Amino acid sequence: MVHFTEILITGLLVGGIYACIALGWAIIFKTSGVINLATGELTMIGGYTCFALYVTFGLPFIAALLGMLAIAIGLGILTERLWLRPMIGEPVLSVIMVTVGISFAYKAMVALIWGADTRVFSPLVFPLEPLMLGPIHVSQVFLYSFIVAGIMMAILVYFFQRTRIGLAMQATADDEMAARSMGIPASSVYRWTWIIAFMSCGIAGALLGNINGLNISIGYMGLLVLPAVVIGGMNSIPGAVAGGLIIGVLENLGDAYISRFFPGGVKSTFPFIVMLIVMLWRPYGLWGWVKIERM
Amino acid sequence: MRLPTGTHFDSYTADHAWWKTRFLWIRMVLLGVILLVVIPLFVGDYWLGFLNMVGYTILGAVGVQLLIGYTGIVTLGHAAPIGLGAFACALFMYLFGVPYLAALVIGMIAGGLLSLVFGLPSIRVKGFYLIMTTMAMQFITIDIILTQYLGPLAGKGRGGVLAIEPEMFSIGPWVIYHTRDAYIWMVILVIIVLVFMANLMRTRVGRAWMAIRDNDIAAEALGVNIIYYKLLAFFIAGALGGLAGCYWLTNLTIVSPEHFMLGWSLWLVGVILIGGVGSLYGVIFGALFMTGVLELVKFALVPLSGIWPGAAAQFLNVKDLVFGLAIILFLIYEPNGLAYRWWQIKNYIHLWPFSY
Repeated sequence: MVHFTEILITGLLVGGIYACIALGWAIIFKTSGVINLATGELTMIGGYTCFALYVTFGLPFIAALLGMLAIAIGLGILTERLWLRPMIGEPVLSVIMVTVGISFAYKAMVALIWGADTRVFSPLVFPLEPLMLGPIHVSQVFLYSFIVAGIMMAILVYFFQRTRIGLAMQATADDEMAARSMGIPASSVYRWTWIIAFMSCGIAGALLGNINGLNISIGYMGLLVLPAVVIGGMNSIPGAVAGGLIIGVLENLGDAYISRFFPGGVKSTFPFIVMLIVMLWRPYGLWGWVKIERM
Repeated sequence: MRLPTGTHFDSYTADHAWWKTRFLWIRMVLLGVILLVVIPLFVGDYWLGFLNMVGYTILGAVGVQLLIGYTGIVTLGHAAPIGLGAFACALFMYLFGVPYLAALVIGMIAGGLLSLVFGLPSIRVKGFYLIMTTMAMQFITIDIILTQYLGPLAGKGRGGVLAIEPEMFSIGPWVIYHTRDAYIWMVILVIIVLVFMANLMRTRVGRAWMAIRDNDIAAEALGVNIIYYKLLAFFIAGALGGLAGCYWLTNLTIVSPEHFMLGWSLWLVGVILIGGVGSLYGVIFGALFMTGVLELVKFALVPLSGIWPGAAAQFLNVKDLVFGLAIILFLIYEPNGLAYRWWQIKNYIHLWPFSY
């Protein structure tokens, strides 16, 4: 039972990081209807920028994190302006393929700059020894990552519900035509979408880098988190967060209890199988809008 | 179709022929002679290998073109039927000593059935959810089935590489041994596939697909059996993928799950987007362009390594960078692809000097 609780808690804590990535995914889908296949690369860039600020320039971790967020804002604006703005009004497949192009290009750039070796945050940001909550071990990295991710979420929730641009984004997601006729500029909404996606994924990247070290394969994280978005419902932000937590738990449970029966690959596949089941049962996800076109 | 003045036909057959004038016939025969005789005789092994890569890309991208360009089904997992086809072909040859052509057919059927199974959700959903299922096909097939199960089946470890003796690739007395043989086999396969596809698009089946692509609800209202035709598209695309995989095996004589990762699926989609969606010319141009750019990158990096040590080691990254930028720039500046450009140039020449 202790073992099970430990797995559950670790899963939940990792799920917080996944929730950040899922949020980056969901917000772009929600406002523009595009699956951003470069999400993993946004994560990767965030991780590496934070790494560079913390290790190469020797800033304290909090400063590195904030600096990474600032750079993420700049990169978000740049990405949207250069490559997504010209695609407004194009078919969705074209825009998705543009994000594929972005993912290839960004991944290559990161690999050119930082190389393919695994980089570790040294000196360690979070202490190694686990915290004891009664009989349950909790790794400090996971715990603090969860807290940072939670703070990020709280700020974003405030942003969506209380600020002008956040409300404009919600309006655009709800009905783009109506929002535009009410005087909400679509381009600034898209810009903010990318900024937020970049920031949210970047935080997740920095935290993941603290857990496993950074290498190029962190770009696959974006795809591994996809089930979270689908389970939660593609156009629901709370759904994405809940989906992220669910995926974190599922992944750890699958790894602990099912993987011994199979030769391998269960940890990353189990969420996908659950996703397929959820798609058969509720294709729009647990909290998504029931607005699916059936054949 | 633009025809010279005074050309007329006495029968519908002649009117619907692919090459309507003697000039076109001569041109195509010349092209065939160049492809099958001149190039193998005078081109070195390196460039034949390059052309083999182009041919493999064409064979792979035709299936993607069928799904995305003709039926309007977005697929991001086409490397899965290609990989399964290659593995099925290799396994049957390796374990049971099945003759090459029979193994090729088995590979095609395996690819087709895989694609069909994962195409089943297309009965109920479309768009984004279909992208998800094709991506699931990619991960489940390549990362799980091929890597974890099929490699150990042949006595290799997980993710094992299957190697087939080159002598086994024989069609009757002809052994596909050298790069030159692989090239000739590639040209034959590409011609068969392209002729098959071009003709298929003129039949009831092809028109049904295009009707589904343009407006599925209208197509159903007009009596097109959407489920049947969508599944047929999945099956044929998968079978063509399987064929491409078998050709890849022939070309390389080894096969590994590493060759069919998600990147290759995306690459194939990029090829048809750059070449032009909904056009067989697009497949050829896209494959030539992308493989050619790869080659250019390779040649550009060699002199660079003087100034930038380790340039050669960065080949993969520079390749990815160029590929990503090429897709983005093509989609922004030439969304109709190279095939459209080709059509414009042809038109310009036809209309010259009165290009109004």
